[in-house]
Amino acid sequence: MTHRWGMAVDLDRCTGCSACVTACHAENNIPTVGPAEAATGRAMHWLRIERYVEGEFPDVQVKFRPVLCQQCDQAPCEPVCPTYASHHTDEGLNAQVYNRCFGTRYCANACFYNVRFFNFYNPVWDKPLHLQLNPDVSVREAGVMEKCTFCVQRINAGKIDAKAEQRELKDGELKPACVQTCTANALVFGDLNDPESAVSRLSRSARGSKLLEDMGAQPKITYLQKEVWHDSSNG
Amino acid sequence: MTRATANRITEDLLRPLLQTTWKFYAGVTVLGIMVLIGLSTWAYQMYNGLGVTGDNWPVFWGFHETNFVFWIGISHAGTLISAILRMVNATWRRPVTRCAEAITAFALMIGALFPLIHLGRPWYAWWLFPIPWPLFDSRGLWPNYRSPLTWDFFAINTYLTSSLLFLFLPMIPDFAVIRDRTVGLRRKIYGLLALGWEGTPKQWHRLESAMHIMAIAIIPVAVSVHTIVSFDFSMAMVPMWHSTIFGPYFVAGAIFSGIAALLIAMAILRKVLHIEQYLQPIHFQNLGKLLFTMSLLWGYFVFNERLTTWYGNAPHEIPALTATQSGEYAPLFWTMVFCNFILPFPFLAIRKLRTITGTVIASCGVVVGMWLERYLIIVPSLAHKQLEYSWGTYSPRWPEITIFAGSIAAMVLLYTLFSKFVPIISIWELKVGEHKEIKAAEAVQAAEAAGELV
Amino acid sequence: MKAIYGLYSTPEAAQIAVDKLKTAGLADREITILSSEPLEEYEFGRRDHHTWMSWIAFLGAAIGMTSAYLLTSITQQSWPIQTGGMPIVTNWTNLIVIFELTMLGAVFATVGTLLFTARLPGRQSAIYDPEVSEGKILIGVSNPRQGAISDLERALHEAGRVKVKTIA
Repeated sequence: MTHRWGMAVDLDRCTGCSACVTACHAENNIPTVGPAEAATGRAMHWLRIERYVEGEFPDVQVKFRPVLCQQCDQAPCEPVCPTYASHHTDEGLNAQVYNRCFGTRYCANACFYNVRFFNFYNPVWDKPLHLQLNPDVSVREAGVMEKCTFCVQRINAGKIDAKAEQRELKDGELKPACVQTCTANALVFGDLNDPESAVSRLSRSARGSKLLEDMGAQPKITYLQKEVWHDSSNG
Repeated sequence: MTRATANRITEDLLRPLLQTTWKFYAGVTVLGIMVLIGLSTWAYQMYNGLGVTGDNWPVFWGFHETNFVFWIGISHAGTLISAILRMVNATWRRPVTRCAEAITAFALMIGALFPLIHLGRPWYAWWLFPIPWPLFDSRGLWPNYRSPLTWDFFAINTYLTSSLLFLFLPMIPDFAVIRDRTVGLRRKIYGLLALGWEGTPKQWHRLESAMHIMAIAIIPVAVSVHTIVSFDFSMAMVPMWHSTIFGPYFVAGAIFSGIAALLIAMAILRKVLHIEQYLQPIHFQNLGKLLFTMSLLWGYFVFNERLTTWYGNAPHEIPALTATQSGEYAPLFWTMVFCNFILPFPFLAIRKLRTITGTVIASCGVVVGMWLERYLIIVPSLAHKQLEYSWGTYSPRWPEITIFAGSIAAMVLLYTLFSKFVPIISIWELKVGEHKEIKAAEAVQAAEAAGELV
Repeated sequence: MKAIYGLYSTPEAAQIAVDKLKTAGLADREITILSSEPLEEYEFGRRDHHTWMSWIAFLGAAIGMTSAYLLTSITQQSWPIQTGGMPIVTNWTNLIVIFELTMLGAVFATVGTLLFTARLPGRQSAIYDPEVSEGKILIGVSNPRQGAISDLERALHEAGRVKVKTIA
């Protein structure tokens, strides 16, 4: 049976530690752009922690929301790419084919979650940091779009291993870097086609909602929260 | 039309080709240097990456895309004048058609460069050609016909090809005239361009039939091109982009900026080439009236757009609207309204002020205002998308400004070279016009004499 | 003699010359007429039969339309790639490409027909005189019959003051 990868993010558990962001950078060879570029707004955090501060001192509340590619089933970024660099796979992932991208950046404009990033410059890793690059993930050159892939390299590796061992994938066996690293177990990843998987059950939770659901892109990430936030995401 | 008049027309219109002053060389040199600076900047941008521009997350489109839409918009001048006025038999158009068609051709060529300039990896732009693998290794994939950028590719190529042909066909008889009047290398080149034209009745009839068909064909193409350019925006769910009005809004804006550019070009040509007799105040008057109509139409579209957005009060759209009306983009927005609507109004509406100078002042305002309009469609919306956390800003850096300046220089340079090598007013079409007017006047006289007219 | 022709200053004179030549026994197609502008108000300027150009333009448009339809739908089906939940063959969007290539087909057909039927590039008649570009209208006969030359010369002169030239 084909898989349909999804994720659940528990906002009531997230502490905003940003370990997931760091893990993502390490796993996916995402360049750090430096302070000048970050000030221009070109930081490339495939997974970012949005921080919201509410209330006046001393009743201040800080809320954290990790935002990453929602792998929408009706992704607005996909039809607009002239070279099919952004398209939908059989397993429900929004694929970004680096070799096919020539950098029109229309997909980034079309994405209302703003989770797509562009390589404005050729990435640079000062020696010896280049030694920590993940060999399973390509390094993108200037002019190419990139975004969260649900660590598709880990998914593919896991599927190959399972096939070699002639068994099915177990729920919770595959973990993208962020899920693996989360200290509060706020991130859950799995197969939505398996009704008994953790992520399927969480997607049916009463605390569950989708980000910008009424825009109709059918995102596959369920956000769990006791109280619904009153901001533009649920307006 | 007397022989004297006919000869004078030919002399006046061929003089710029046969006589060159130092001013021409000076102008071409200066413009050439500016174009070279623009091209070098583009090379610098290609080498270093788009990071040298002001583009960022989330405002991924800025000056380059604004310029793209701007130049494609300017290119709608020729089609309106040449094709539409041809279709409705507006005889005053005759001296103006080639000026306008030349603007179309060059503005299109420059506009079509900007999609290449804005690409992250422009050396792969050829992937948009539907070439089957394994003839060329495009990884075995065809272009995605669902993408508005692919539509852009087909539309702009069709319009460019058609416009170049539309420009070239009526030049053939004029090339024959030049061929017969020159010697040496010039004669050879113009002879080649004239394609052996002789002027038999059959050739004239076929040429005019072809022009007629092309005029009919090119109007829907022009409308479709700028509509498709507007689809680059309206197909995305970005606040204030996803609007059904964008197609007609962009086409009207294009014709608006095109007429303005044409008026400016005509005013300069008049003085520089000493063709004041041919580009007369009446032409500026008539085009001025058209420009006025387009200014009102533009205002109507903008009002429609903004009223619906404001009244609808949709939470995702209001921030983008507010940013332009009263926020950080407000100075640019109100400048745009002044340039497109308030400034042109007196110069175009009041007949006494609708002189050559008046229409040129209005046109300069319109050209600036329409550039601002494209900028204000693109940037404020991208800066205020649905999730507030990822709102941003944009400001251009020197490469974008330099490339923009280079594109303006390229336009002027191409136009200058064109007017040096091709008569800027179509000689035979002008003679036909004079001819027909005299015939009509004679017919009226004859009818009066015969007592049929009182 | 290869050709004999006269250069007339006014279309009226040229019309008289054509009529006189026809009286002298020449058929329409034996008379060469060259001018620097179309003169369709005069009978001699309306020589050409009705052109099929519009129909050929339609044909070109039809070819463009069919090619575009095949290009878009066949390639979308040969490499079916999911994008945004849209169907694989998206007719709404393909219409846009189909429209553009239809118009391009019409334009190419029109220009092609013009070039072919007007025999461009290349010169068809043996007669040409640069004075045509000065505004004169050339009425002439190429390869006239030996015995008829003096008749033709007389006919050409009868139309008024005219330069009659010959090409040996």
